[in-house]
This record gives sequence, structure tokens and C-alpha cells, in this order.
Amino acid sequence: MADEHTTAGGPPVQEPLIETPSSEGRLTRFYDHIRREWQIYLMLLPTIIWFLVFLYKPMYGLQIAFKDYSIFRGVAGSPWVGFEHFETLFSNDQFLRAIGNTIKISALNLIFGFPAPIILALMFNEVLHASYKRTAQTIVYLPHFISSVIIAGIVITAFSPTAGIVNTVMGWFGLDPVYFLTQPQWFRPIFVGTGIWQEAGFGSIVFLAAIAGVNPSLYESAVVDGANRWQMMWKITIPSILPTILIMLIIRIGNVMEVSFELVILLYQPATYETADVVNTWIYRQGLQSGQYDLAAAGGLFNAFVAFVLVMTANTLSRRFSRTSLW
Amino acid sequence: MSGVNLSGIVKAYGAVQVVHGIDLDIAEKEFVVLVGPSGCGKSTTLRMIAGLEEITAGDLTIGDRRMNRVAPKDRDVAMVFQNYALYPHLNVADNMAFGLRIRKMPKAEIKTTISEVAEILGLTEYLDRRPADLSGGQRQRVAMGRAIVRHPKVFLFDEPLSNLDAKLRTQMRAEIKRLHNRLGVTSVYVTHDQVEAMTLADRIVVMNNGSIEQIGTPMELFNNPANTFVAGFLGSPPMNQLKGTLTESGAKVGETEIKLNGSVATQAGRDVIVGIRPEHVTLTAGEKTTALPISLDLVEPLGSEALLHGHFGKDSLVFKTETGGDINHLSGVGEVHVNASLVKLFDAETGHALSLGA
Ligand SMILES: Nc1ncnc2c1ncn2[C@@H]1O[C@H](COP(=O)(O)OP(=O)(O)OP(=O)(O)O)[C@@H](O)[C@H]1O
Ligand SMILES: [Mg+2]
Repeated sequence: MADEHTTAGGPPVQEPLIETPSSEGRLTRFYDHIRREWQIYLMLLPTIIWFLVFLYKPMYGLQIAFKDYSIFRGVAGSPWVGFEHFETLFSNDQFLRAIGNTIKISALNLIFGFPAPIILALMFNEVLHASYKRTAQTIVYLPHFISSVIIAGIVITAFSPTAGIVNTVMGWFGLDPVYFLTQPQWFRPIFVGTGIWQEAGFGSIVFLAAIAGVNPSLYESAVVDGANRWQMMWKITIPSILPTILIMLIIRIGNVMEVSFELVILLYQPATYETADVVNTWIYRQGLQSGQYDLAAAGGLFNAFVAFVLVMTANTLSRRFSRTSLW
Repeated sequence: MSGVNLSGIVKAYGAVQVVHGIDLDIAEKEFVVLVGPSGCGKSTTLRMIAGLEEITAGDLTIGDRRMNRVAPKDRDVAMVFQNYALYPHLNVADNMAFGLRIRKMPKAEIKTTISEVAEILGLTEYLDRRPADLSGGQRQRVAMGRAIVRHPKVFLFDEPLSNLDAKLRTQMRAEIKRLHNRLGVTSVYVTHDQVEAMTLADRIVVMNNGSIEQIGTPMELFNNPANTFVAGFLGSPPMNQLKGTLTESGAKVGETEIKLNGSVATQAGRDVIVGIRPEHVTLTAGEKTTALPISLDLVEPLGSEALLHGHFGKDSLVFKTETGGDINHLSGVGEVHVNASLVKLFDAETGHALSLGA
């Protein structure tokens, strides 16, 4: 190749078809690019800083999961202990129970919580009366904007054995009052139900937006072809929003280990730890309440690792089977 | 049996009336094209026939049945949409089968119908592709296929070719014409492309502002436009229109008196619009021609023909002439010769065509 460019000392006969970027050229081009597009990078900057400060910098501290950490010696000064904390973790019954609870609650959340906003969105889509639809939407969005503390307060009051509406109604039918929140078998249904009540409405916005993006002439064509509303929902709306559903599912699966921590803290009590204690609450109790930071960090790292594997797997599967993926 | 009749069809959105009482009788197997400028109500009219828009007033019958309140699916019509409306998640075969499945046609029958129609449309090898993996022309064909497999009484087309490039449009136009000849299904076709209208239609319906301006065969409309709107809409380039006044023996336009066929003496003094088709002039004088002086602005060669853009007074005019393979001689043109028998007259106020008394 090089010979072609320098024939007998003369000028290059042929320009190379594709310029091989010299490192200097690449740098110049980079500066040119920044000069042209600096506004866009400026807008990107706050997000990058946020990520660095709140997500990347704390990762430095993750190393204590592999160290015998003490506050006095600091992160760097503490001696390495290898996987000792992980061994402790996996021989700890409470931690194993927390993993089990996390998985069970997440599974319930996925089974009942994930379809809820989709079903809501589909139902809203069938409501033809505009102002009725707007009102209904506002009402279901509302719980999302209420603090979890208040949500938990409402739930605790509603299920209270003395004044709670649930027990009152049960009383009408001659049933004995049940103290739901102290009974382990009731924690998961109440927790998952609360989550749905709180987030399903707001979550439906994404799907409503996807439905709004469906080409209206698809429906018109189906009407002329004789489809009824039920058939249009199954054969047009749902397939059309399937990519959105899959993306949301991937994100959801990535968050499987992140069971709504505040709500668990607010609703559980030692009596229900058996079914309610999840990895995050366990880490919280170990780390902040018992001061075992290194063990808690190991638990957190394990959690993050599982989430990472899950999201990668879900993404790969989705890309393979439906040509839809997050990246 | 499967003709379509519109009588006094009105469409209003709230207080705004957009179609003002249309009367149109479409015979069985006829290919009728609705043509008109954007916003004139073509699509609205078509969608009322399909049942996608409610009819505000008037009667719609398909076959012998009044259809005003009949659901779209029971009207036995099939529609081809401008953007094709193909289901992106279904392959070509499933797209075409959609309407048949909904109508619960037996599987085996669906299969044979689809392969027959795919054969006709040259889609056989694309049957398992998704719409996203097809070219514009192929998508268009799938949209047509979806209508054809239903064997409807009436085909409705809403600008089905407007998303295609010029070459493909010409090709698909011919294909639609062939299909219609072969299937003989009553068709209503909406377009704002007058060439499509001229080439496809058995009869053209020219619409403007929610009303019908004229109905007729392409040649009727071309030769005898009912008014200045139709005259200006059909033909490319459209008819030149000059303000003038009738005299004892012709029409005076500026300083020029254009000779006319027939007697206009009784109407002398009437203000008229003189219509001259671009192709109805010659560069040399003949019998019964009038020389119309023009100042030439531009010569546009089209190959065997050329367009002469010029001015007569303040009016800009376009004429079409043979080039004979050379346009150099055209740059010196200072006048064109108008053939008396081809001149059209319209009332200056109403725009209605005037017939020249014999
Ligand atoms: N939903 C609506 N509400 C109010 N006015 C409407 C509505 N739909 C259409 N119109 C009006 O009706 C008139 C006719 O519309 P239509 O779509 O039939 O025009 P068109 O002849 O098909 O035009 P184009 O060639 O641009 O498709 C337009 O003036 C339009 O603004
Ligand atoms: Mg239209």
C-alpha cells in the first residue's frame, strides 16, 4: 500500500480510499466536534456529574466488602480479607431468608404488579368520554405523588383491627377482626397490593403514550375489515406496544432485587420479618444499626451483581426473540 | 347490484359543514375518481362511504341497501389507505389474512385465497416478510392485496399512490387499472393528481370546497369543462384563462380580438373568460386562427414538446408546442395562433361555461 503513495519520489498518485486516522487527526477532529457541539455536551454535564458523584465515587467504598473494615483505619487502611464476608453472608440464615423473601416479593410484583399498568392503560384507551377519562386518570396517578410514609400510614390505618375499614367491612359479615400487619402470611399480599395501588396509575402513562403512537389508520383499516374493539385490542394495540412492554420488563427485571425499601421498612415489624425482611432491609439493619459496614457492603455488592446478571440476561433474551432491547 | 349511490350527502363537524350535499351515482363495476384540491372533502366523502365517518344528512346506498347506519364491516367495502395501514407486527400473508380471519373464513380457504392474490400481485416470494422489510411499492401491493382477498362489493382508495416516487406511481397506476379490468369491482378512488384521475377513471368527479363541480368521463371534462375551476384543474399545464369581452364577431382580449366559432353577436358586450388550452395553439397561422401576441419569458424543453411561458398583458400564459428535436427556433416566438374552434368561453362572474350559439 505505502508504495502506491510514493511512486518514484513524485506526488502521491492515488488518495487512499478510506483515510486511516492518524492519532493527531483524530484529536483534531475531536476538538472540532466539541467546538461544534459543545452546547449538547454542556447539557449532558450535570447528568455525568451526578453519576460520578453519586454512583461512581461511592464505588470506591465497595472495596470494604473484601476488607476487615474499621472506621478508624479508613477504607484504604483496613486489611484485605478476601471473600470472608461473602462466606459469612451465605452461612447466615437471615441473609438467605432475605434473599428468598426478595425473590418471592419480586416474583409477585412481576406477576401482578407488572401487568397492572398495562391493563390500566388498555382500559383507559377504551374510555371514549374525554373528561371522564381525564378525571379517572388523575385519580389513579395521585398515589404516586404521595410520600411512602403517608401511603404506609393509610395502609396501616386501613388494616388496623380496631378502626380499619377492612376489618370493619369484615365485621359486617360477622368475621372476626384480623391484625393483618402482624401476621407474616398477610405481608406479601398487602405489600404487593400497596405497590400496585401506588404505582400502577403512574406507570400506565408510558403505555398510554405507546398506545397514542399507534397509527390510527391501523384501527380504521381493522374496522373496515370487521374487527370489534376486543379484537383490535388483542391484534393491534397489544402487539404495537409490545416493544415498550418488553423494554419496561427488562428494566423491571433489572430492579428485581430493589424491592421498594422504604415501603418495607415502613410496613414490616419484627413479627413479620419472616416474610418481609428483604436483602436491602437486612443490609440496612446490619450496616447502619449494627455497624457491620463491611458485611453490609458485601450484601449490597451481591445484590448489585445479581441485578446486573438479570438485566443482561433479560436484554439478551429480548434482543434474540423480539428484536427489542435496551442497548 | 353493487353500485353506490350518494344523494344529498352532507358532512358537518359541529357547526362547520365540510361536504355540502353531494349527489353521485356510481354504476356497478365503474371506476370513479374523486379529484380536487387539498381540503375539498374527498377523503371525508370516501370515509363516509366506508362508514368511518358518520353521515350528517343524505342517503348512502350500496347495492339496494341504505347504508347510513350500517357498521363498516357490514357494508362489504374494502379500503386502501394512503399510508397503507399495514400491521407492522404481522408478515405479508398475515396482513392479507387479517380480514379473512376476523370473518372466520376456514383456514384452508384463507390459504388458497392468499396465494391466488399474492400471485396476481407478484407478492408470492414476500409472503413471510414484515412490512418494514418491503419497498414502498411492495407495501402498496400488500395493501391492495388485503383489500382484494376480501372480494368486497366496493373498493375504496384514498390516495393510495401518493407515497410512491413518480416512476413507481406510473407503474402502480397501470397495475390498478389492469386489476380493475380483471376483477371488475366497483371502485371509488381519491386522488389530487389529475393525471391519475384522467388515466384511471371511467368517470371523474371534480370536487371543490365540499361540492361537486362536474362529473364526466375524462375526455368530457377535458373537452367541455363546466366551469373555470374544472378548466383550471384538469390538463397539464392547465387551461389559460384570459379576461375578455364579447364583440359582434369574437372575444376582445386586450387589444386583440380572438375569432370564435359560432355566433356571439347577440351577447356582445358580455364579460367573459376566454379559455385556451396550452396545446391548442400553433406557431403558424392557419384558417380561422387569431394571432395572440405574447412576450416570451422562458422555454422549457420536455423532449418532443416544449412549454412556452409568456405574458399577455398582465396575465401569464403557458403554451405547449412540438419541438421537432430542437428548441432554438422557439426563443424568437412573439405570437401564437389560436384556433377559433378550440376556444372555450366562461361567464366572467359565475365561471360557468358558455355555449356558443351556432
Ligand atoms: N375532524 C374534523 N373536524 C373538523 N374539520 C375536519 C375534520 N376532518 C376534516 N375536516 C375538514 O374537512 C375538510 C375536508 O377534509 P378532507 O380530509 O376530506 O380533505 P381532502 O379533500 O381529502 O384533502 P387532501 O387532499 O388534503 O387529503 C377540510 O377542510 C378539513 O379541515
Ligand atoms: Mg384526503
